[in-house]
Amino acid sequence: MHEHELNPWRTLIALSVFAVLIVIGFFTLQKPTMKYDLNMKESLTVLNDNDACFYPWQLEKVINKKANNIVLFDIRDKFTYGQGHIPNSENISAFDLTNKENIKRLDNLKKQNITVVLYGEDQLQANGPWMLFRQAGFKNVKVLLGGYKYYSEHKENLAATKSDESYKKGTPRFDYAKIASQSNTGIEQTSSTAKKKVVVRRKKKTKAASGGC
Amino acid sequence: MNRNYIFLTILMLFLAVGTIFLHKTEKLKQIEPDKLLWEIIQPTRYVSTDHVAKMIIQQDPSLEIIDVRSEKEFNNFSLPKAINIPVDSLLSETSLENFGIPGTKIVFISNDDIKADQAWVIAKRLGFDGMYVMRGGLNCWMNTIIQPVEPPEYAPLTEFATYEFRKGAKLYFTGAKTENTETKKVKVMVKRRKKTKAASGGC
Repeated sequence: MHEHELNPWRTLIALSVFAVLIVIGFFTLQKPTMKYDLNMKESLTVLNDNDACFYPWQLEKVINKKANNIVLFDIRDKFTYGQGHIPNSENISAFDLTNKENIKRLDNLKKQNITVVLYGEDQLQANGPWMLFRQAGFKNVKVLLGGYKYYSEHKENLAATKSDESYKKGTPRFDYAKIASQSNTGIEQTSSTAKKKVVVRRKKKTKAASGGC
Repeated sequence: MNRNYIFLTILMLFLAVGTIFLHKTEKLKQIEPDKLLWEIIQPTRYVSTDHVAKMIIQQDPSLEIIDVRSEKEFNNFSLPKAINIPVDSLLSETSLENFGIPGTKIVFISNDDIKADQAWVIAKRLGFDGMYVMRGGLNCWMNTIIQPVEPPEYAPLTEFATYEFRKGAKLYFTGAKTENTETKKVKVMVKRRKKTKAASGGC
């Protein structure tokens, strides 16, 4: 007979301690600040959603404070923001986006049904954060097409940009195949010279010193 | 037999059966949103057209160009050795095989950089590393490599150096295509230094 069998309660005590530990573990688990709301396929389809974009001509409402349900977030760094920004926008640099407080704030804005428009220097800068927030379920987050650069070039007449297409990305601006073959003409040099060859010549070591120290 | 042992055995069996009903793990592994956001805000993923051109010319064996435009556009024109994976078919099994190969550098290209960047974010969510985005896309490629513009006289010397490079690269991409680039492999010749003989003479 083993010693522990003398006390049948021991098993029960050990088991209950084990259970308590697991329960404590569950309660102290750190809650992630964000969770994916869209799966991979949905994240792909949301990219083609035109409603997820904010057009430059829509900015007029925000600048004139006519829209209470739109907030502009400038995700460039503080210095560039200070040099010039869209009126009535707020500066939250991209690196501060990860802060828990800012994510909580986005969550609150979402509950209040307020649209958040992200913009960077160009559309590319805000593209990544916009995609992530969309995937994390922030349906109120939009991206400003053209970014700050396009705005600053057209700020005098934003309404006119309605008919402008130049800020829309994703279309070829040239006939690639044509240009790539055309530009061949007029060059006399042969093509083989264009290739660079790098020949590495190592310095030969001199033979061992002969004679004397 | 002790009663406790029977009790414990039943408990263990019960738990073992429970594992069968455990939630099946998702097919595709994903990284946490916080981590993804952190990766997204790093600007290190952008490479210039000059850099990509240099890598192609030097026949960098680790380079893998992924063209995310439609198949039609891809067939019309693309960069040498590029693979076509339209954004919509990014998640198919055959296209995912191209990712995550150790030692390769994947460069996404599209007409502009937005689509390429979106493909990058999607692939990054799956946890792949070593991926880059060509800044400006093919539109910028045409403006810089295929139709380089001579810098003004007051431009710094480095700009002239890039211009010289672009002129050479243009020749490579427009004229040197007849050369078979596929079969050529980069050979690295390592010449070892000959060991010197033991010092003759001396102390």
